[in-house]
Amino acid sequence: MSAAPAVSVQHVVKKYGRRVAVNDVSISIHEGEIFGIIGPNGAGKTTTVECISGLRAPDSGSISVYGLSPQKDRNKMREFVGVQLQESQLPPRLKVGEAVRLFASFYSNPLEPDPLLESLGIKEFANSSFKNLSGGQKQRVSIALALVGNPRLAILDELTTGLDPEARREIWSLIESMRDRGVTVILVTHFMDEAERLCDRLALINHGTVIALDTPEAIAAKAGGSRVRFAPSQPVDDQTLRAIAGVNEIERKERFVTVTGTGDLAGSLVNALAAIGIRVSDLEARTGNLDDAFIKLTSDGASSVGKGVQA
Amino acid sequence: MSRRSRAQFAELLKVQGKLALREPYGALGLGLPIILLVVFGLVGQANPGTVGDTGLTIIELWIPTILIISFISIAISLPNTLVRDREIGWLRRVSTTPLHPSMLLAAQLVFDLVLAAAAVLIVIVGGALVFGASLHVQILPFAVSLLLAIAEIFAGGLVLVALMPSQTVASAVAGVVFFVSLFLAGLWVQPAQVPDPLRTIMYYSPTGAAAKAVLDSAFNGGPSYAGLLTMAVYTVIFGFIAIRYFRWE
Repeated sequence: MSAAPAVSVQHVVKKYGRRVAVNDVSISIHEGEIFGIIGPNGAGKTTTVECISGLRAPDSGSISVYGLSPQKDRNKMREFVGVQLQESQLPPRLKVGEAVRLFASFYSNPLEPDPLLESLGIKEFANSSFKNLSGGQKQRVSIALALVGNPRLAILDELTTGLDPEARREIWSLIESMRDRGVTVILVTHFMDEAERLCDRLALINHGTVIALDTPEAIAAKAGGSRVRFAPSQPVDDQTLRAIAGVNEIERKERFVTVTGTGDLAGSLVNALAAIGIRVSDLEARTGNLDDAFIKLTSDGASSVGKGVQA
Repeated sequence: MSRRSRAQFAELLKVQGKLALREPYGALGLGLPIILLVVFGLVGQANPGTVGDTGLTIIELWIPTILIISFISIAISLPNTLVRDREIGWLRRVSTTPLHPSMLLAAQLVFDLVLAAAAVLIVIVGGALVFGASLHVQILPFAVSLLLAIAEIFAGGLVLVALMPSQTVASAVAGVVFFVSLFLAGLWVQPAQVPDPLRTIMYYSPTGAAAKAVLDSAFNGGPSYAGLLTMAVYTVIFGFIAIRYFRWE
């Protein structure tokens, strides 16, 4: 990744009155990747992307989007940044086709409205008023408006909130097809399955601070870890277990030992114990996922709540 | 404007116009004057002769009021639609595109001006043809009075857009303002028919001053400077408040 990042956020701070919404956030987003921003409600995700899109001015720090400043060059940026805002609606009596054609007229090099509606599966609703659409259809219209300008960067905030599982999956394939077309995507979400499925890299934000930044797999492995429960054929002490690669924590309950750690935990445990003549029965292994990592990382952060809120 | 921004604006005007006519009160600005014209025309035919010492028939006396009422009906759609469009995030959404949301407002106002012009045409032509309300207007003072009335009343609508926090509050307040404005413009009783101080209050209220200026320039040789000045002052005050407190989100 030697090329300059598509989006560079450096030490951005944003306060609302005395409340610090974003506290020294720095991220770099590469061209053509789907970059996820995850975190609990009120963590500062939306504020961060609003600063990137130029809707809000950061109090300090700097942001560059394809070499432009969202504040100073906002007019130029509007041409190639498509934004889907959380909870933004259309006038109730505006028709889907009218809205998309209207937005297309705002841009110098827009996509053709009809094929776009077709690919989003809402072409048959082109003559429906916005107020008569279902939640999933409204969400697709919202995506259509973010994409019709043929953006290089699409910022999508809480894309699939309130959608049924099938609609979510369809929208996911749509986002993947955007990546295939080379569009850089910033995806704000609080759904871990969505982040795991779609994102090339993730920033986990809590209390306005980035607490993890990596691929979903790496974050899951690092923080979520794996968990193995087994019954050894004879007692085994902590020291022996700790010597095994990847083991972090040990818990005992009755005849069971539960070990959490990283890597291929079950494999190395079984092999290492077999080497000293201990057999393993009732083995249960669970690989950590992003959910575990999310809960672990954000609850660790809970102890430092006070840190982010001093004015 | 470049050719592209003209094309943008044309598309916007088309969509805003269609939208405005789809709103439940979209046609109020044209429908209400037609209804009032018919009502007062019939009342006038049932009660021929002049009203009091005004020297004017009922239809003549009420035609300026009906004109002002159509401007009020058009302007009242501003808070009802724009406050909603702000509340649902539509104006903010548009602000992320290359189009500045002020263009939405501009398209809305241009469309409303066209509606106002159509209302003027309907009321004057309809009044003259159907009910014989003969206007001996001096074009310039008449046009100045009408334009000032439109500017003042539209600016008043924008004050509501700027100050109302939500759609619910906006439609409640707009409803009250609507009926008070109709009263002051002389819908139920003409200022010429009531004693002071109500008469003076009506003459110096925003919509009463507008109705009087139009009446004077249609039948009494021209509006008074005091009347025009009253409207101008209201326009400046309303415009100032609307610009000062306007929010896109």
